[in-house]
Amino acid sequence: MLTIEHISKDLGEFILDDVSLTVKDGEYFVIIGPTGAGKTILLETIAGIYPPDSGTVSLNERDVTFMPPRERNITMVYQDYMLFPHLTVAENIGFGLKNRKLPADEIAGKVAEISDIFGIGHLLHRYPSTLSGGEQQRAAISRAIVLEPSVLLLDEPLSALDGQTRERLRIELRRLHAAYKTTIIHITHNFEEVFSLASRVAVMHQGKIMQVGTPDEVFRHPNSEFIAEFVGVQNIFQGTCKITDGLSEVTVKGADGPHLICSSLCTENTNVTTTIRPEDIMVSCTKLASTARNSFAGTITDVADNGSMVRISVDTGLPFIAAVTRQGWCSLGAEIGGTVYLTVMAQSVHIF
Amino acid sequence: MRSDLRRNWVKILSISVGLVLAGFIITLLLLVATHPSPSAVIESLMTKEIQFAIYLSLATSVISTLLCILIAVPAAYSLARYDFWGKSFVSTILDLPLALPPLVAGVGLLLFFGTTPIGDFLESIGIVFVFTPLGIIIAQFFVNMPFMLRIMRSTFTDISPRYEYVACTLGCTNLQAIWRVTLPMAINGFLAGAVITWAKGIGEFGAALMIAGATRMKTETLPISLFLNMSCGELEMAISAAIILMVISLVSLYVFEYFGGSAKF
Repeated sequence: MLTIEHISKDLGEFILDDVSLTVKDGEYFVIIGPTGAGKTILLETIAGIYPPDSGTVSLNERDVTFMPPRERNITMVYQDYMLFPHLTVAENIGFGLKNRKLPADEIAGKVAEISDIFGIGHLLHRYPSTLSGGEQQRAAISRAIVLEPSVLLLDEPLSALDGQTRERLRIELRRLHAAYKTTIIHITHNFEEVFSLASRVAVMHQGKIMQVGTPDEVFRHPNSEFIAEFVGVQNIFQGTCKITDGLSEVTVKGADGPHLICSSLCTENTNVTTTIRPEDIMVSCTKLASTARNSFAGTITDVADNGSMVRISVDTGLPFIAAVTRQGWCSLGAEIGGTVYLTVMAQSVHIF
Repeated sequence: MRSDLRRNWVKILSISVGLVLAGFIITLLLLVATHPSPSAVIESLMTKEIQFAIYLSLATSVISTLLCILIAVPAAYSLARYDFWGKSFVSTILDLPLALPPLVAGVGLLLFFGTTPIGDFLESIGIVFVFTPLGIIIAQFFVNMPFMLRIMRSTFTDISPRYEYVACTLGCTNLQAIWRVTLPMAINGFLAGAVITWAKGIGEFGAALMIAGATRMKTETLPISLFLNMSCGELEMAISAAIILMVISLVSLYVFEYFGGSAKF
């Protein structure tokens, strides 16, 4: 268990301001926050790169606040890989093992094993500069995980990758965590990573931890205006995916029983999170005759006018938020308590 | 004259200036190289005096380059990695020998080793700098150290400290991280810096003249030899020394550019 108590650190440009956190063994802990929130310096303080100005870090009830990084058994992966360019992939992955003075054949064995798991076994003799971004990040993660660290720190590990590679590597990270049960702290500013990976999530802002909880808690019940605004994504529902007649449907438990939401494809019988952007919801007073798969009737519970857009909260059994233009809202002629229909195209329903 | 988009006078004029300058430099080099007959050059190269000058130049410049590396690398690392009180002042002062006339540097060195208690002490234990080859080494070191320092500083600045952070989490001490990661990554800057420092060292004249003097067969490096032989009308000998210096600088410049030196200076 990693416990951080009242850590403060001032690096001029970035600060940590009285940060306290507890990460349990085997947890996949995600820290999310805007650029400059102090996420990286928090990870580097946990890794022991700098001493904190005040506060303590303890690992499994041992105070490691001023212990040098090499004695902590905490490894770290950066966004831009930081593979040593003058060493081959095999030498990079074996770097830490060599520091531990393991015999060469044992190092080779462990390197081969971990690289096979990540599908980079055929690249071991190559130099990092000849690898694609995804391959480099796989090598960097291999280098960190082969030491079987007590905590693995990932600093935006997927941010530098293109969309498809990012998705694949995200799935591999989940698999890896399931297989190794390593305690992971993962920094991101990507919400999908929070929902697909996090056991718990912390939101950081201006060097402070604003909220900690399960993704569901934090996204559904933001404890501050900053978080409400920052998470921005609304209409987040968890459910089970099912495929009927070639179309996938997600069953979501609502206040009054199950609701079905049609979506773009997903695999059968998996637990998924669906999101619908408020802008993708059409609001009307009568049921629309349209090809859109999703149509829900509901009652308006709240209306918020923020200038150009009007956000309407509608209870259909599931709490929806729809955004319409001010003009659209005026011509709709609806008010709080009235009944409206929400129409959503299946391809506007995102699943992860 | 009507202006025409196809005739860019600024471009034509500025390129011409560059070409004329390059032509002037090449002319000078060719003049030096072709002035004596090749047989006379070879004859001079065979003399004891020129061979001594070559030997003394190589020995002093290699030693002064090693000294520069030894001092400039850690100093450059500290300036690239750490913030400390007075850093920008220290940084400026360390570059000062670049702007200082070598003769002034030489006078300073002469006073330091000739008149201060430190100089007296060193002399009492047999380390004499004034009018000896040791003086040449210290002169080359003092004047050329900024070249190594500047190149290493920008080389280290270009290498993200995160490589070292990662190395530390993988079990390295700070020093091991520098030794096993940062220095190998800095190899190009290191070689470029070493070559230019060495080449400048071989050509060092003013400061060396002040502290070590110009004694035939004692403190006679190639530039000193060039100066001495020129003064007493031995043109062939003087130009042979010049040709060697020229070849060394051409090769060094090539190696320097090959390792990307000009981008780091």
